[in-house]
Amino acid sequence: MAQQPLIHYHIRWRPSGHQPGAGHGVVPGAGDQLRSVVPLRERPDPRRLDLRTSARDPFKNVWVRDFYLNSALKVIVLVDTSASMSYIGKVNRFNVAKEVASQLALSAYRSGDAFGVYVAGEKMNKKRMLPPKANRSAWVWLQQHFADLKLEGSHADGLFDVVPYLPQNPCLVFIISDFRWGEGKLKSLLKKLSHHDVVPVMLQDPTEIDEQPKRGIAILRDSETGAGQFVWMRQSVRDQMSAAREKHIKSVNSACTVLGTRPFVVNGEFNAASLTAYFMGKDA
Amino acid sequence: MNALHFFKPELLWLLPFCLLPLISYGVKQFSYPGLEDWTKDTVSNLLRWGVRMLAVLTLVSLVIAAAAPFTEGGTQTRTGKGAEIVIVLDRSGSMAESLEEQDPVERARGKVTLSRIEASRTVLLKLMDQRPGDTFGVVVFNASPIAVAPLSADRELARAALKSAEGNSSGFTALHRALEMGLDYFQDRPYTATRLILLVSDGDTKIKEEDKEILRERFKEYQAELMWIYVHTGYDFSLEFEEDISKDEGAVDPNVALNQLFLSLGMPYQAFEVNSEQGLQRAVAEIGRATNKSTRYEFRLPRQDYAVYFYMIAMLFLGVLFWLKQIEIKAWRK
Repeated sequence: MAQQPLIHYHIRWRPSGHQPGAGHGVVPGAGDQLRSVVPLRERPDPRRLDLRTSARDPFKNVWVRDFYLNSALKVIVLVDTSASMSYIGKVNRFNVAKEVASQLALSAYRSGDAFGVYVAGEKMNKKRMLPPKANRSAWVWLQQHFADLKLEGSHADGLFDVVPYLPQNPCLVFIISDFRWGEGKLKSLLKKLSHHDVVPVMLQDPTEIDEQPKRGIAILRDSETGAGQFVWMRQSVRDQMSAAREKHIKSVNSACTVLGTRPFVVNGEFNAASLTAYFMGKDA
Repeated sequence: MNALHFFKPELLWLLPFCLLPLISYGVKQFSYPGLEDWTKDTVSNLLRWGVRMLAVLTLVSLVIAAAAPFTEGGTQTRTGKGAEIVIVLDRSGSMAESLEEQDPVERARGKVTLSRIEASRTVLLKLMDQRPGDTFGVVVFNASPIAVAPLSADRELARAALKSAEGNSSGFTALHRALEMGLDYFQDRPYTATRLILLVSDGDTKIKEEDKEILRERFKEYQAELMWIYVHTGYDFSLEFEEDISKDEGAVDPNVALNQLFLSLGMPYQAFEVNSEQGLQRAVAEIGRATNKSTRYEFRLPRQDYAVYFYMIAMLFLGVLFWLKQIEIKAWRK
């Protein structure tokens, strides 16, 4: 796997933690953004002496500059492990999910941010959870614990059980799934996570959208319900299927729009640079 | 319409296995993340059942074909024309003698104007030419019979057999064995035409009592007729000669005894006494008339085999299945 660039995620709010990090925080401390000018008595650090303000003061007080602490963010990844995530089309869907989580773990560590992982299928998997900490070895943890993860279950309602485990402070939450969920499920999950900054990462495979076979017969077996479907692929079926796919993406989009976010779509392989571009607001 | 039979009915026990395609899908399967929004395609659903039923029907027709269904053909009454004629030609030494009365001096010198066998041969060949619809077989005999030409449509063989027959004495004339051999020609042949054993001989031999019984049964079994062209010179006894055949052996003329014996066998029998070539020809013409009548016979129709139709259906279905296999999606990608 080629070396991916770091993901420069970006949030539009200030994290409130006291842990030093890369983002602009809200608490005073060592940072690069001027917060205010305070008397030396309050912050006895002569290195931050503000000569101009001190000379201007008629009462001859000595003033020092005060900065916002560059705080750490908490990056939390929720991974859907229902059976549909085991789909192997052009790419192995769960490997893509693992890749996204791994790149986020690396990037979070490089930014000094805390990183946590929760996985859930029909039920939350409590044996495979990584609470958000500044964790150097999160990447290794992912490689170890995602390798033998069982992908089963016909839905991902276990993700609702994860919500109470998340920090009360706002975090950056990624939900990695194909979002083949029941009607309204995504919307209610997003509502429960509404105080966090949520990025739904939608995994798709070209073979289920625009790279389906042109013609022929086959049987498709639903990996979640086990139901079989005899298919005679032809142009009209392909048209109907691409329409259904567009409808699905549209429904995910509309669910996200209500809560002020938009999904990041991974079609095939994951490209870390495009996730950075997503945060820059460049991708559509 | 006759009832349907099976040559190997035990194979029909395999029929329940023909339902196996209904359990299996038979078509390559692909895992798919979610079918909930897959379009409900009626044609595909019908095709799914169609493919499975096609597989079932293919197996059913193969099993039925293997069980070989057939109907008995039954019998049909037909009218046959022509005759099956087995010429039993005597080639004993006496047949080499002259047919017509001859000066004894000339005869002693060995000059024979027209030998009996030669005259018979000429006339028999003419008979063959006149009757193109008949089937001929030839047995020649003196001390033992020789099956020269089998009863077949190969007339050239029969002609050659007649042409090659020459009088040759070997001291003994095996008449009854020649007749039996001639009758054996009819073995395993369907009875489709008048069967005639045409014995051309000058007699002078005896048939024992036990051989007589065998001959009687054989003639009955093969439904054959017998005609005897008695070739002799004028000074032999006529067959009409009333003689008490219960006399001591040796005291009775053997030909008269033979005639009586043939008469007693019970099959249609005619004897022609011939002592000149014209007489021989008359006899042959008479034979022609006698065998010209059409024969009504029961023809056993061959049984009707239906396996081939089932094999054809199976082939057709297999072709369709093969085509379906060809258009099957091998990998779920573009």
